[in-house]
Amino acid sequence: MSFVPWATVAWLFAVGIYGVITSRHYVHLIGCLTVIQSATYITLLSVGYRFGSVAPIFHSRPPSTPAVDPVLQALVLTDIVVGATVTALLLALTLQVHKKRGTVNPERLRPMRQ
Amino acid sequence: MTALLVLMFVLVAGTGAGVVLAREPRRQALAIAVNGVALSLLFVVLRAPDVAYSEIAVGAALVPLMFLAVLVSLKTDRPKQ
Amino acid sequence: MTRKVRLLVAALCALVSAPAIAVVIMHIPAFGRHPLPYGDAINHLAGAQRHVTNMVSAVNFDYRAFDTLGEELMLVAAVTGTLVLLRGRRGESLSDRAAQAGNRPVCERSEAVTLACRFFLPLITTFGIYVILHAQLTPGGGFQGGAIVASGTLLIYLGESYRLWRRLVRSRVLDMLEAAGALVLVLCGLGPMARGGAFLQNVLPLGQTGALLSGGLILVENAAVALAVTAGFILLLLEFLEETRATCEGKDP
Repeated sequence: MSFVPWATVAWLFAVGIYGVITSRHYVHLIGCLTVIQSATYITLLSVGYRFGSVAPIFHSRPPSTPAVDPVLQALVLTDIVVGATVTALLLALTLQVHKKRGTVNPERLRPMRQ
Repeated sequence: MTALLVLMFVLVAGTGAGVVLAREPRRQALAIAVNGVALSLLFVVLRAPDVAYSEIAVGAALVPLMFLAVLVSLKTDRPKQ
Repeated sequence: MTRKVRLLVAALCALVSAPAIAVVIMHIPAFGRHPLPYGDAINHLAGAQRHVTNMVSAVNFDYRAFDTLGEELMLVAAVTGTLVLLRGRRGESLSDRAAQAGNRPVCERSEAVTLACRFFLPLITTFGIYVILHAQLTPGGGFQGGAIVASGTLLIYLGESYRLWRRLVRSRVLDMLEAAGALVLVLCGLGPMARGGAFLQNVLPLGQTGALLSGGLILVENAAVALAVTAGFILLLLEFLEETRATCEGKDP
């Protein structure tokens, strides 16, 4: 049963990539990117987990209580907020594409040719 | 490996698949909100309350709202030819 | 390439990488039993060294503050990029009414929604400020609290009108707040160097463990990050919702 976290991560990554490949709307594609991002968050937090330990907050506990890894949590929490702003940037790019080309279907938008 | 952990992982896998399989973007915005709630519950069970705060504020409130605002703009915007 | 070709290439890549992934999953240290030397060191030492009780904030704003500086500048860059893209092509002729699509009926704002938003707004804002201020004591910090406060200000838009929301949150003030947040974080790095210390070294008095004013430079960095994140998110929401307004052709709004 110890493979469940890694199997979940692999499943989310594969499903996200499948969504990006077969998407027909750019906004749907950006949603699939957030699924891929969440796979990386789960990987980092699963590496740092330890059975029978508490959160790394020692406000009412002695500092020698076994706790999970705080470094990985610090990485993930800044990543979530910054990932949301990058998603906003991608959405703004989608709006610009719609204004210039009139469609947001990736199948119908080919790279510009000279 | 407790049953609660396995259940949360399976739930997150399910909601993640739900985000991808919701092809219409308006429905996908709600699926992202549900995925955000499931992820933050998983983070609480993995003993990461800080990360759960981030994920619930961002994934359940801010990102779905930005998606819906963009969808409204796409629908009501007339592209300049 | 067409959709079928893309799916074929993806299936081939999955087939080639599946054995590699399976080998990695079998040889990775068992879930829940990873050796975590860095984390254990921080858990045991950071409380005594920095007088804080939230180890995640200690890592974010002190031990790995360099990474937080990078993340904050990334956030400012992404927000700036979005604002440039959206403000640049919009023009000035936008009214405060929402744009109509076709013949869909306009729904009035229900009073239950207004009541609920007025009830929850002070609660959420207070909770967000609590989360920001208690960064070094209990779960919290600038990133989380900033996101919470930013999503709380949305309730003004939901409960009242767009015009009131636009008048209350001014984008000039928010621009300055966001830039100030990034600037204060960079100054927190350069300031200790002016006195002979290292970049981002914790030079302020550390205070007493468990008090609200403890942790030294962690407080200043936390406030800077909270400012930048709150202002950044509210600016993003402002710009996205401004895009949904109707253009007024010729008549005064």
